[in-house]
Amino acid sequence: MPMTEAFLNVGLNHYLILSALLFTMGMIGVLMRKNVIVILMGIELMLNAVNLSFISFSSYSGNLNGQIMVFFVMTIAAAEAAVGLALAVAIYKRYKEINIRFFEQLRG
Amino acid sequence: MSTQFEMLDLLLVSPAIALFLASLIPLAIKVLRGNTESNSVATIMYGLVGVVTAMVLTLANYGIDKVAFQGALRFDGLSFWMQMVVLVVAAVTLILSRDNPATNNRLFSEYVFLLLNSLVGMMIVAWSNDLMSLFIGIETMSLCLYILIALSSEPRKSKEAAFKYFVLGSFASAIMLYGISFIYGTVGSTYIQDITQVSIQLMNTNRLFLFGVVLTILGLCFKVSVFPFHSWTPDVYQGAPTPLTAFMSTGVKAVSLAFFLRFIAMEVIVSERAILLMNALEWLAAFTILAGNIAAIMQDNLKRMLAYSSVAHSGYVMMGILAAGVGGESILGASGVVFYIVAYTIMTLGAFGILVLFEKRAESSLEVSDLSGLGARNPWAAACITIFMLSLAGIPPTVGFFGKLFIFSAAVKQGFFWLAVWGVIGSVISVYYYLRPIVTMYMQNDEGASVLQTKGLTRLAISVLAISVIVFGFIAESIYSTVTSDLASLFF
Repeated sequence: MPMTEAFLNVGLNHYLILSALLFTMGMIGVLMRKNVIVILMGIELMLNAVNLSFISFSSYSGNLNGQIMVFFVMTIAAAEAAVGLALAVAIYKRYKEINIRFFEQLRG
Repeated sequence: MSTQFEMLDLLLVSPAIALFLASLIPLAIKVLRGNTESNSVATIMYGLVGVVTAMVLTLANYGIDKVAFQGALRFDGLSFWMQMVVLVVAAVTLILSRDNPATNNRLFSEYVFLLLNSLVGMMIVAWSNDLMSLFIGIETMSLCLYILIALSSEPRKSKEAAFKYFVLGSFASAIMLYGISFIYGTVGSTYIQDITQVSIQLMNTNRLFLFGVVLTILGLCFKVSVFPFHSWTPDVYQGAPTPLTAFMSTGVKAVSLAFFLRFIAMEVIVSERAILLMNALEWLAAFTILAGNIAAIMQDNLKRMLAYSSVAHSGYVMMGILAAGVGGESILGASGVVFYIVAYTIMTLGAFGILVLFEKRAESSLEVSDLSGLGARNPWAAACITIFMLSLAGIPPTVGFFGKLFIFSAAVKQGFFWLAVWGVIGSVISVYYYLRPIVTMYMQNDEGASVLQTKGLTRLAISVLAISVIVFGFIAESIYSTVTSDLASLFF
């Protein structure tokens, strides 16, 4: 059965497809949602999809560099989340809600 | 595998270390004084000491071509010029920040700390010879900037600008990182020298590698605000405090463009399979020039107009970058790009800097009509604005003219004749909106905004920039030949 074959032998492609799906979901979250927290979650999802892709490449080629890069990406994702949440607090203090529909000062 | 590094590596990165140590001084003093802000002149002096030390250390390393940390960082002519550019930008930004009510508030020590650390990130981008170092450099630089913009005393626009910049900046970084992961997966390394060896062969055989290169270029296009990824630029540049606008539009753009040059100089886009990518980038450059210039015509707010003009200037530099990526006489394109970045930095820094002199409150914004009659009220400020605008428009003998001349002639010699034609058309359009403030200043006599006489240091810095726009125009030929000889090692 060719169909079950594709599900039983999990290879590099499966991980890459999963990572692409996660990345797309994150991207949609950033582009479509109006809530600041959901946008932050979308960015985190995108970065973690990249981590998955790094790890799967590293694991299937036996080259350890990719796993080290994941540590860098995780560190930066944490810093980014901290900055993003700090901005969310600043926005909340001003507008009493965290939604980007108030952002209409700058246009033209 | 041993992970040792030598003393030389530390000496090479000493400018960044000096900047980081200097950035700690204002913060430490504030903590020791029990969280009270010290004199703002003293605070910027600590920052300036760090910048000048870094400049001396950079000059001491002039003329070398070395790699450090197993090839992750590269110290050559390109990184030397970019280091000098960002250090000058930082020195001027520190001076402007002290004289601006939006940035000089009760968090000024933290402001200087973040500004210098953003500068460290810029240096890393300028040095990076490895896609991972590039990512870390870009994030260090941007994370500091997001907070810097939000620290402004202005309550509404700056928060909006900071959040827009944060979302789009992180989005672009994630896309670029996704591209880097594919390049890593296909090449097995993220070092530029390893990618260069296999790029032409992989480009023709491996779709995944092509995909990775395209995504990385997309991310870089976001960072340097190339059409159609430029829409964040005017919003962020207008909402941010003016000194930071000057810092972003020159420093961030200069190092991002320099890495773009380094990436394209690997000749990843010359192979047959990449012909579509090459054509797409040519069209993006042409559209960037047109979109920036046409949108700038319709602006009344001076900061927003200059923001659109900086989009157009990215388009001119893109032309030079493409000319550096097709082989043959690539060095012409590369030195044109570096010269243009130097010229653009001086004039844009001046043009944004002079707006600081008009800002009495954190909420101030300046329209073109506010300048009317300035020629009679304040001849010095009017003369400076005239010099910067003429240089941005590319009128000889200013430095802006020679920047455009070198880029356009490199494009023609490398076979981008039609692109050079678009560039010239764009420049002609741009003359209209660059001349509008000049006409308003000298031909109309209404009451408008006036320059604050108290800001002595800023006036000095702007005078120096205005004079160097003229002087660099007269010595353009010798600067260009120095740049050309410094960049020779970029192509191998």
